[in-house]
Amino acid sequence: MKKLVYDIINKLNAQNITYADVRFTDTDTQQIYFEKGKLKYFGSDMDSHALGIRVLADGCWGFAGTTILDKTSIDKTIKRAISNARIGSKFRKEPAFFKKLKPVQDSYLFKPIEDPFLMDDKYKIDFHEKIAQKLIGNDKIVYSFVYSEFYRQYKIFANTEGTLVDSLVYDSMPKMYVLASNGRESMSRNWPGDMNGQRGGFEIIRNAKLEENTDRIIEEAIKLLDAPRIEEERADLIIGNGHLALQLHESVGHATEADRIFGKEISYAGKTFIKPAMLGNFKYGSDIVNIYSDSINQGGMGFHLVDDEGTPGGTVDIVKNGILVDQQTSQENAALLGVKPSSNMMASYADDIPLIRMTNFCLAPGKGSLDDLIKSTENGYYIDFTKTWSIDDNRNNFQFTTEIGWKIENGELKHIVKEPTYFGITPEFWAACDGICGEEEWDFQGTFHCGKGEPGQAMHLSHGVAPARFKNIVCNVKA
Amino acid sequence: MQFQKELIKICEKYPQIKLNFHYKIWETDFLRFYQSQINYNISKTSISLSTTIYKGKKSYNFSLKNPNREILQNKIDEVLELIDQLPEDPDFVDLEDDLSKTGEKEKTNNIEKVSLDKKIEILEKFSKAVEPYNFKIYGTFICNYRTLYIINSNGLDKREVSSPIYLECKAVNQKNEVTVLEAYGGERFESFNEEEFTSNLVKKVKAATGEVVDVESGKYEVVLAPRCIGEYLMHLESSIHAQSLDSKQSYFEGKINEKVFPGNVTIIDDPNHPDLINFDYNGDGHIYKRLPIIERGVFKNFFVDNYYGHKLKMKKNGSEGAALVMETGDKELGEMIDSVRKGLYISSLHYMNFINRKETSITGLTRDGTFLIEDGKITKVVNNLRFTENISDIIKGITEIENKSYTIPYSSNYGEFGIYSARMPHVKVNGFKISSSTKTV
Repeated sequence: MKKLVYDIINKLNAQNITYADVRFTDTDTQQIYFEKGKLKYFGSDMDSHALGIRVLADGCWGFAGTTILDKTSIDKTIKRAISNARIGSKFRKEPAFFKKLKPVQDSYLFKPIEDPFLMDDKYKIDFHEKIAQKLIGNDKIVYSFVYSEFYRQYKIFANTEGTLVDSLVYDSMPKMYVLASNGRESMSRNWPGDMNGQRGGFEIIRNAKLEENTDRIIEEAIKLLDAPRIEEERADLIIGNGHLALQLHESVGHATEADRIFGKEISYAGKTFIKPAMLGNFKYGSDIVNIYSDSINQGGMGFHLVDDEGTPGGTVDIVKNGILVDQQTSQENAALLGVKPSSNMMASYADDIPLIRMTNFCLAPGKGSLDDLIKSTENGYYIDFTKTWSIDDNRNNFQFTTEIGWKIENGELKHIVKEPTYFGITPEFWAACDGICGEEEWDFQGTFHCGKGEPGQAMHLSHGVAPARFKNIVCNVKA
Repeated sequence: MQFQKELIKICEKYPQIKLNFHYKIWETDFLRFYQSQINYNISKTSISLSTTIYKGKKSYNFSLKNPNREILQNKIDEVLELIDQLPEDPDFVDLEDDLSKTGEKEKTNNIEKVSLDKKIEILEKFSKAVEPYNFKIYGTFICNYRTLYIINSNGLDKREVSSPIYLECKAVNQKNEVTVLEAYGGERFESFNEEEFTSNLVKKVKAATGEVVDVESGKYEVVLAPRCIGEYLMHLESSIHAQSLDSKQSYFEGKINEKVFPGNVTIIDDPNHPDLINFDYNGDGHIYKRLPIIERGVFKNFFVDNYYGHKLKMKKNGSEGAALVMETGDKELGEMIDSVRKGLYISSLHYMNFINRKETSITGLTRDGTFLIEDGKITKVVNNLRFTENISDIIKGITEIENKSYTIPYSSNYGEFGIYSARMPHVKVNGFKISSSTKTV
């Protein structure tokens, strides 16, 4: 396939174009889904290959993708990418541009501890069936599922600057869920949380300790039916890693994607409240808040050697000591902002156009353990396990609900509360952060389903986080 | 031999199992624009086959890109070595067995009909029309062309062709980012009225040039644009699918023939409606027909597919909620706005998510034009607002329905960018709960 990609680059080099890149992906996925104790879905999508060609010509981008890899189709795809750019340039007032990059030739082949695609299917089914059986049998549990997804993608990237890089990655994602009902209302509990994807193979499923936590989520779901709700108008909240990853994702990650500043995502994903003039001076959070984009940590799903336009991976501070200092950028948007490109142009599959995407988007650790943070909280709640999320078009007004919370009184966890719901305005919320746990609590959370773009792309990415405390947050919102 | 014919032969070759195929040939031509200029144009082509194999009550699913007979047979043989080891799904009874067909209409390929040059010509006109007001245009202009074959071992051999067009044009004030939206969706490009579209867009732009204010949280009388009531109903659909009964998440559980909404509310799923994007079959290949959901406030039917029809012992009906129609009422839009002393006109919604699906509690935001109504007139632009509310309460709060309805296109965005439409009027709702302001437009 490298030869195929190389030949296409040569054909593109013979055209009168400014720049082009070519990607090939071969993706395998497998899903196992037990519902109410029964195998409801077992399936795979193997050798799903795609080819994408992006061209900059006459100051405009054009893109064409295909899953058909014969010569006729490839030649048609090349022509279409070029004609899309050339015809599109008739309605392009400010020419798009691309700064020359130093070529990279490299290879990265990740090896999981347990390759789920080489394992015995029967073993994987038995493993999940055992968990599925433990989730049923209690009269108050009216619905349950256990689900795992495995992903392997081989990618070749090449561009007309001379870069040629191939990579192989494995990601896995486990989840189980129960719904309890008392006839009047229903309450859910999931494990290990919504940000449950990780770089790795079947070891990710084992590490999630699903079987060890079935009794816990059943018991908590049932207890939630009779649990109180938060009554205070405002409270101090300690947010656990699973949910904090989503808070970071929605209110900082998406907000600092530079394409939103220029309105390139208005039609679907939205804008951002950030303006170029804010870089270097805008108070995004309290002094202890440090947030960075990191595509070179191999522990996260956002690792890469180069992004999908050839910019080498790296680490970029986004918020430094509470001040907004940079953005996640592409070559083009970085130049518009006068910053260095951050290596954040990624596409889900080769026949998707690259967009500015989070890679490993992280909150830097502070100091101390979660126990220490709870002990230092006089009155508040510890909340985790996302239930609902919503944020406005500008990434400014958000409201989240978690499945469960624990009341904190005088530094101790007390009773549980159901569906804690809190609301905030992004910079006010992050300014209220007065404690972030240390490295011992910091880990990668991740998702397979970060949606952006049209046609929509679902991206795999990670968030490094440690539990953090936010003071005086509005937390009594009810329908 | 055409591959769909090969699939029929493969069904015959394996009588010991049941096979279900979805064979799709899909193309898109997808233009995105911003700041009154093109961002990029995407052309994509894909051929895929989704297969489900049943041996008794045991099943396995797989997908292939660009399949051929040899690859498919190898995969089936591979699955046959595994399938006996899998646990059963006792609720599976049989694949779809309704062999009846619709006319299976041919459709024009709108990718060819609406060229990139033509799209640019149209967008340049919109751009010029809003420019004098210091607005620029942002959005998408998409044409898809898809042929889907649904073939199974029960003798099903059906084909559905679709070629929807989707144009979403937002005009954004370059000074304060106030945004308004005009959209078109349909399969007959002849039905696209460029002049009317431009005139509606400019009318909205003019309304969006006023002062921008915040409003306090609390209960408001609101006029919901057709797009908004359509989006609420689409979210409520999750309670109408029979699957939600099985997962104990349906608001309508135990409410068949019960009056759930005001008597002026009638909602139908009508995949053959002349003003909507039409569908022949549901995902099983069952004919997709008109189905009343709410009749004069009374809940009438769930959407029942083949699997849940068997599992829940309900009569399958092939409906999917892809073409919802709300019956019109008796009020002019002007009368509805005139009767509001202090309230809101809400154009569009954003990022809705359920807090509790069974209770229909939801949170989300307004978008693309929220306006203050004072003494019967739209007076100011309002920053986007957050609502936290039960959808069932919003519908129960409907007091007036417009005497005219509009086609509202929407997309599923992911996968093959499915394009659907709904036919909705404006509605007036009492006691709509605003929970916070976003402080931004």
